[in-house]
Amino acid sequence: MATVVSPRGQRYVDELDQIWIERRGLWGWLTTTNHKRIGIMYFFTALAFFGAGGVEALLIRTQLIGPNGTVLSPQAYDEVFTMHGITMIFLFVIPMTTGAFGNYLIPLMIGARDMAFPRLNALSYWIFLGSGLFMYASLVQGHAPNAGWFDYVPLASKQFDPGNNIDYYGYGLIFNGISSTIASINFIVTIFKLRAPGMSINRMPLFCFAFLAVAFALLFALPSLSVAALFLELDRQLGFHFYDAAFGGAPLLWQNLFWIFGHPEVYIIILPAFGIATAIIPTFVHRKMVLFPLVALAEILVAFLGFGVWVHHMFTVGFSTLTTVYFAAASMIITIPSAIQLFAWIATILTGTPQFKTPLLFIVGFIVYFIMGGLSGITVAAIPFDQQVHDSYYVVAHFHMVIFGAAVYPILGGMYFWFPKLTGRMYNERVGKISFWLTFVGTFVTFFPMHIVGILGMPRRNYTYSPGLGWTFLNFVESIGAYILAVGLVLIVANLFFSYFRGADAGNDPFGGDTLEWSTSSPPPAYNFAVIPTVTSPYPMWDRADRERDSGRLDAGEGLLNRGHLTPATTVQDADADEILSMPPHSGWPPLTAFMLTGVFVMLVLHHYWIALGFAAAAGLTLIGWHQRETSP
Amino acid sequence: MTETGSGSPPLSAQARRGPAAARVDRGRRAQPSGWWGMVLFVCAEVTLFGTMIGSYFYLDFGARRWPPAPIKAPEVTAPVIVTATLVAFTPVLVLAVRAARNGRRWRTVQWLLLALLVQSGFLAAQIVLFRHDFNQFKPQSSAYGSIYFTLLATHDAHVLLGILLDVAVLWKLATRGLSNYWLIGVRGLVLYWYVVNVLAVVVVLVVLSPSL
Repeated sequence: MATVVSPRGQRYVDELDQIWIERRGLWGWLTTTNHKRIGIMYFFTALAFFGAGGVEALLIRTQLIGPNGTVLSPQAYDEVFTMHGITMIFLFVIPMTTGAFGNYLIPLMIGARDMAFPRLNALSYWIFLGSGLFMYASLVQGHAPNAGWFDYVPLASKQFDPGNNIDYYGYGLIFNGISSTIASINFIVTIFKLRAPGMSINRMPLFCFAFLAVAFALLFALPSLSVAALFLELDRQLGFHFYDAAFGGAPLLWQNLFWIFGHPEVYIIILPAFGIATAIIPTFVHRKMVLFPLVALAEILVAFLGFGVWVHHMFTVGFSTLTTVYFAAASMIITIPSAIQLFAWIATILTGTPQFKTPLLFIVGFIVYFIMGGLSGITVAAIPFDQQVHDSYYVVAHFHMVIFGAAVYPILGGMYFWFPKLTGRMYNERVGKISFWLTFVGTFVTFFPMHIVGILGMPRRNYTYSPGLGWTFLNFVESIGAYILAVGLVLIVANLFFSYFRGADAGNDPFGGDTLEWSTSSPPPAYNFAVIPTVTSPYPMWDRADRERDSGRLDAGEGLLNRGHLTPATTVQDADADEILSMPPHSGWPPLTAFMLTGVFVMLVLHHYWIALGFAAAAGLTLIGWHQRETSP
Repeated sequence: MTETGSGSPPLSAQARRGPAAARVDRGRRAQPSGWWGMVLFVCAEVTLFGTMIGSYFYLDFGARRWPPAPIKAPEVTAPVIVTATLVAFTPVLVLAVRAARNGRRWRTVQWLLLALLVQSGFLAAQIVLFRHDFNQFKPQSSAYGSIYFTLLATHDAHVLLGILLDVAVLWKLATRGLSNYWLIGVRGLVLYWYVVNVLAVVVVLVVLSPSL
């Protein structure tokens, strides 16, 4: 690709480099509002939490490697499996997908120079960091949440869990929810308003459709969790009675509120994986996605239907048959949009000319495990079967197949896929393939026997088991699988780490990708594109004429927007150019606001309510400084 | 589309004063990002209230008596009058945003000040009513008390947030002027208050439902 830039074009590029110059060093990172830097910070933070959650997983599997394990005390085991769940869901998958991949890639894919609200974007990162550290502070204190990631009352009520373990959970999730809510607003507005001129909604990459669906699902699901956690803390701190049956409260209210959030959450976790898959597949099979409009609609439909199935987590609580049957049917319906996408991916691969490089291998792994997790999902959507295996390892097997096998694999594949774009270097292909096979085998060996051990009656969340129940051998196999899996994952990180220093030069577009991020240099400049790109199809990189015209426009000095930190805004549906927006270059206010908010939650958990109020007021005051600089919203 | 320099779109941030900001506003074919941001924010807010109202009725339908024994059904007159007053002043918000979109800075300030007065009065009355109820029964006395006071307190906090936003926007309009940035600010603020007004009606109907 790399077209030769004329001296005149180069002068324009130098000019843009000057306009968009970024602060160096720690201070530069702290005050950045650049979506790529924020994406990278999200990436490393989420990766660190993935490491922590992974260590917790290994502790669990080591405890269960044989009967009567003594690695963890029962209390420690409760804390470890609870933190494993919270970490992987709230501190790894969501920040890794929406935070890291979404932040870095969406503005690049839609041809924008930043997110719609760059400072708000920084704020969502700093709040996420604050909430993650807040929840992990509990572990340092030895008071980590210990009632499972879904934290059922009355077990989680003050009476049965008197320490402040659960308070870290309740406050932490409200805190974390603020970050995700503002991030989702930012994504939706960015996708609505900042697409390059010509990228009408039907020419938007499928990756962006998936992330749009996720952002909407987050926006409407999170309030339910926040309200549930607020009620929980009011019960625990001030003696309210929302969940207290003795005073007219309802423990099932928690379960309903939690799962009204919790099931859309499952799709929030997996939809970005769908998006990454639809970005990787066309590139490596060298053809456009089959059924583009249907896949786009299916992505949105999955997010929408996800709101109507929450009771399938509650088949054993004693609802009427009519209620449970409705939710079973609704759950079965989700197979339709899921299968549309599944067949579209498979058909695209089969009708193309696939080149099985590491990223595509991970997508194939994803498809395999998504089918396995999907099939066991149909079995647990069937009420009588679910009532038998509820709270057993069968369920653990099912959701790890889906959440690890299906949701995390595209993240791993995506790490390989966009590594050259982020660093300008290639990863090692052979080590990449080895890491895939280790991970693939490790996943199967870890999670597949859980189906059997679950059907044999092993309950989840128990800290150990007795010998002679027929579970010993399978548990041993699972634990060995977990170690293989860990080796595979470490190998991925090691491959990328060493490739960063020693990898071959990647160039702009090493894979022949189809979306706009491949049109710019690797790593992209702060302003992403010297010329605001022209878009006439959902596969802009394969429209050679358009890209050549763009380099011509650079030489002519058209579409540069070199009068400041500028990016165009377009109309929502047709992406007609509408106005030029001025973006903030950097700001110290977002981290300061996030710091004050962290103070609020720390003081709440320590019961210093007046100081918490002081921090809240201080957070409000930082917003005044924030608005001193006028951009164009 | 093929945009080739034929009258490149306006640089909105250059509109620092009312008339220029109004021109940018009129020239726009789509709503600005700030407006969309507020729409989505209030979507989250409305969902939050929806969840609380859902919880109210979940507890209501599960209860034998609602409100439970010693607590009397809520008084209707005062809350209805207070809420009706707030809602009756909605046209003031319409006038404020219209003035802003016409680029008339001080007219906007005027209408917003009037709105602020009404809204502060509403909050004061709400606090008086809240204290009155609080002397009758407590959130700790039953699940009814818990949801009743939590719903009202959340609503009042929502109003308080709006009042703080009012003050901030008014201050900026007075000191900075009606730039493009603050014109969008006024539009967002008014949108927020439309939603608060609608929620005020819904919340009052919910908490009064045992007496209706």
